[in-house]
Amino acid sequence: MRSVRALAATAALSLLAFSSIALAAEPKQGGILRMYHRDSPGNASIHEGATYSLNVPFMPVFNNLVIYKQDVAQNSMDTIVPELAESWAWVNDNKTLTFKLRQGVKWHDGKPFTSADVKCTFDMLMGKSQQKFRQNPRKSWYEQVNDISTNGDLEVSFNLKRPQPSLLALLASGYTPVYPCHVSPGDMRTHPVGTGPFKFVEFKANESIKLTRNPDYWRKGRPYLDGIEFTIIPNRSTAILAFVAGKFDMAFPTEVSIPLLKDVKSQAPNAVCVVEPNNVATNIIVNSSAPPFDNIDIRRAMALSLDRKAFISIMFEGQGDVGGTMLPPPNGLWGMPKEMLESIPGYGPDINANREEAKKLMQKAGYGPDKHLAVKVSTRNIPVYRDPAVILIDQLKSIYIDGELDVVETANWFPKIARKDYMLGLNLTGNAVDDPDQSFYENYSCGSERNYTNYCNKEIEKLFDVQSQETDVAKRKKLVWDIDKKLQEDVARPIIFHARTGSCWQPYVKGVTVMSNSSYNGYRYEDVWMDK
Amino acid sequence: MFAYLVRRLLLMLVTLFGISIVIFFLLRIVPGNIVDILFAAAGYVDPADKANLEKELGIDQPLVVQYWHWISGFLRGDFGYSYVSEKPALQEILPRIPITARLAGLALLFSASIGIPLGVISAVKQGTKLDYALRVVSLSGLSLPSFWLGLLILTASVAMFNQMPIFNPNPATWLEAFATYAVPAAAVGFRSAALTMRITRSSMLEVLRQDYIRTARAKGASDAAVNYQHALKNAILPVITVIGIEAAFLIGGLIVTETVFNIPGVARFLVEAIRWRDYPIVQNLVMLIAIVVVSANFIVDMLYAVFDPRIRYTD
Amino acid sequence: MAAIDYEVELRRAGAHATVGWRRVLFLAQRHVLGAAGLVIMTLFVFTAIFADFIARYDPLTIDAARALARPSLAHWMGTDSFGRDVFSRIIHGARISLAVGIGSTALGGSIGVIVGLTSGYLSGWVDLVFQRVSDVLQALPLLVLALIMTAALGPSLPNVIIAIAIPLIPTVSRVIRANTLALRELPFIEAAKSIGMSEVRIALRHVLPNTLAPLIVLATAQLGSTILTEASLSFLGLGIPEPYPSWGRMLSESAAEYVRTAPWLVIFPGIAISLAVFGANLFGDALRDILDPRQRG
Repeated sequence: MRSVRALAATAALSLLAFSSIALAAEPKQGGILRMYHRDSPGNASIHEGATYSLNVPFMPVFNNLVIYKQDVAQNSMDTIVPELAESWAWVNDNKTLTFKLRQGVKWHDGKPFTSADVKCTFDMLMGKSQQKFRQNPRKSWYEQVNDISTNGDLEVSFNLKRPQPSLLALLASGYTPVYPCHVSPGDMRTHPVGTGPFKFVEFKANESIKLTRNPDYWRKGRPYLDGIEFTIIPNRSTAILAFVAGKFDMAFPTEVSIPLLKDVKSQAPNAVCVVEPNNVATNIIVNSSAPPFDNIDIRRAMALSLDRKAFISIMFEGQGDVGGTMLPPPNGLWGMPKEMLESIPGYGPDINANREEAKKLMQKAGYGPDKHLAVKVSTRNIPVYRDPAVILIDQLKSIYIDGELDVVETANWFPKIARKDYMLGLNLTGNAVDDPDQSFYENYSCGSERNYTNYCNKEIEKLFDVQSQETDVAKRKKLVWDIDKKLQEDVARPIIFHARTGSCWQPYVKGVTVMSNSSYNGYRYEDVWMDK
Repeated sequence: MFAYLVRRLLLMLVTLFGISIVIFFLLRIVPGNIVDILFAAAGYVDPADKANLEKELGIDQPLVVQYWHWISGFLRGDFGYSYVSEKPALQEILPRIPITARLAGLALLFSASIGIPLGVISAVKQGTKLDYALRVVSLSGLSLPSFWLGLLILTASVAMFNQMPIFNPNPATWLEAFATYAVPAAAVGFRSAALTMRITRSSMLEVLRQDYIRTARAKGASDAAVNYQHALKNAILPVITVIGIEAAFLIGGLIVTETVFNIPGVARFLVEAIRWRDYPIVQNLVMLIAIVVVSANFIVDMLYAVFDPRIRYTD
Repeated sequence: MAAIDYEVELRRAGAHATVGWRRVLFLAQRHVLGAAGLVIMTLFVFTAIFADFIARYDPLTIDAARALARPSLAHWMGTDSFGRDVFSRIIHGARISLAVGIGSTALGGSIGVIVGLTSGYLSGWVDLVFQRVSDVLQALPLLVLALIMTAALGPSLPNVIIAIAIPLIPTVSRVIRANTLALRELPFIEAAKSIGMSEVRIALRHVLPNTLAPLIVLATAQLGSTILTEASLSFLGLGIPEPYPSWGRMLSESAAEYVRTAPWLVIFPGIAISLAVFGANLFGDALRDILDPRQRG
């Protein structure tokens, strides 16, 4: 009798399990996703910002021409899929990129989407239109674009000065939504109108951002969620306590630090957490236009003194990556292989040997145990900047350099850097897409606004153009590796480490994919649903 | 008395004018402006874009012009637009006031309902162990950093109940509404309760030494009657004064408490606005706070005049 | 408000001894809490002075290998995320807190005294101007004023001291002014005037010493609150920057994240702040009882 009961129970249980699996495979409609947000973004216009505090809440409002497939973690050319475009083609010797647009798409205010909107958006980004953005941080992405031409309502072409295969990658970023022609840039900052899966409802600065389902979304059956609500909680400990206490369905993506992950795991063991690189490189900007770092020996010595493993072990309990400019493999597509990396001075595994060499260079420059070099290390007053700067200062002690931390308020940071009013600066460089064009031109080309150190090497600059036009990926990789190695050897902007961060959500939240080589592109959220 | 009133009101206006000058120029001394912050996110500053934006916001004009523009607007009730959200500043400030006001009100209620009785007990039982214990507790209330206390409360509530009183703008039940305000209010109110208790105690002690209390006792009034009917009634005035003044000083405690408990009130908003160099918000909000503080002081003075005929007003 | 005669007060309180140490003993018995406060304060000052000898590790040295270690015999209060010894940081932090506490109280106090004396003694338009400036400063919330000041000056130890000192000025100057006004009317000042003493000399020789008692009371009372203000500023990210081991900084932002995984990072600095402020308050209370009998409890 007992065994029969047990049998029945087992059968019932397995049936239950079976049905729940079946249910799990079938996404459910409905529910409002509650997420905390780390910071109040300045405005709601993605094109006018350069922080993912803006991408996460507002990417769901928009569509791009093309987008990185939202359920694949590693962004690459192969994972780019059409969105507002139905297809694309490179024509005219790879100098024209033509998109066929989707028909019947409507803006959230009911107006139809046409090729004119695409032209408006990119003309504005290139600074060619009457209406101007307050700020236009990614203007340089379109340096190679001559103009945008339309052919009827449903075809648009980007006409380039020279072939640039990476343009497609830039267009697939979360930073590149298509804006409506009929809404002014000012209105887009306060009340964005898009074609995306969610409509903007309200944005209360320092309080909350609310989105609601777009019932007329062109992709049938999407989105699954009825809406998304972001509660802005800048205080990290409060935020994580609230997540652990079940007040939120999801923590702000890539904002859970490695030590905090342990806390989440112990208190909310069912929470799903993943750790991925966020393609943000922590680096040192060196003022080589003034003493003492105009001396290449001292620059090299500094590069040799770095114990990158120690940084990673303190900041990420070992879970971070050592690399050059490009995010290292396996997550990064363009990073140097390990053997090549270790051949660069300062990257060798024997830290003591490196530091001995560094000391010799310092002595050559006239410093030693009795004559230390006093240096100011400037950085922004934010923990992710300040913490590595504190470690850097500690490490510089080993080669007769006495560092002093100079903490700078956000408002004064870039003006100070632009004035060259610093010796060493600890800086974070986030890469919107894992692509050499974006990283090289932005950070190392002569005259680029974000080339803070004014590093300028015409030889290398030519190589930037060569790799940029190369359509064969294997060949391009080789070129990129050589460039990256040279940049590190020149101590142009020493890269300390590539960060990894955690993202957590409650077990009933499904369909979330955290990108593994970018933290700006994975927030369309039309496939996210909740199993409850 | 009437002349005093007029004089007092005039001084109030002078003070407010002074505050407007101080806050306006102090903010301009703080390095960097909204444009620098906006561009900080972009990673570089484009001089042409910067100049355009400064012109658009009017922060390229001479300071005197800017000041006149602001203060004349303020007097007309036109607070201008927030640099950050580009919404009317008034519309940003107003909805946040009730939240902070509720919090402050509850904190003061907490402060009075705990501080006054304990202060009376402490005074009546002067020199006893109970008095000592109460004094130590009240002093510790003045010694704990309120953000630390808040953090410990949050952590403890998650650890013990796996719950935390996080702010909910639309509380479903009365209980939830109470919880979202009461816990943070208690964290802030602890300090002012301690202060209230100390003032009540010393005020009571002073009154208890007065002749008329001795007379009442000599006439055979019971201890309780003396303590509560005569003494407390007379000791309460300075306590009310302090509570009134404390209401204005609460804002400091509210800033950190609103940060720890993530309450979207004006106090935290002010700090954020300072961080963003959002002049229209900071200037107007500080003026509003100053008006509240100055009026509170004024009312307290008037209360004195009404209740305590011994005070003469010639200054 | 009359001049306070310390001796008379002592006698009124029942002290007949005149020998120094016996008086101290008497006071300690009468003011147990105050004595406790004094002990805490002394300990605090002692720690600050001899931090280099008491601390067991360098408070700034980073060691990845021992990051976030629990409190143990080797590390009494554990280590932080950089592997720095928390006990040593707290010991050295006493220096920072004391510097902020004493520095800003002294700065704000001395400017307040000058302003108060001048204001009370000269009266007239000088007084009027000073009074209005005080009104203005007092109507601005202290923390807001300090916040804007540190933002304006930049975060560094001297700047934080200045930022915290300025809001103190009106509080001090008001008390000194009231005292001076009262003193001016007293016979001995009249007498000094009649024998032809100069105004400045009267102010410095007779008025100032007689305002010392309320000043000391006020200063001790402010000591604790300046330490708390520094902590709040640091918590909001505007206090004394790394790597200085300021107690407020130790509690702020990144450390607060560890409140559950490494609670020692949050608990010990909080206790240090509370204890120091508590000691200052206890001591201040007792001083007030002794020096300012009008307020006697």
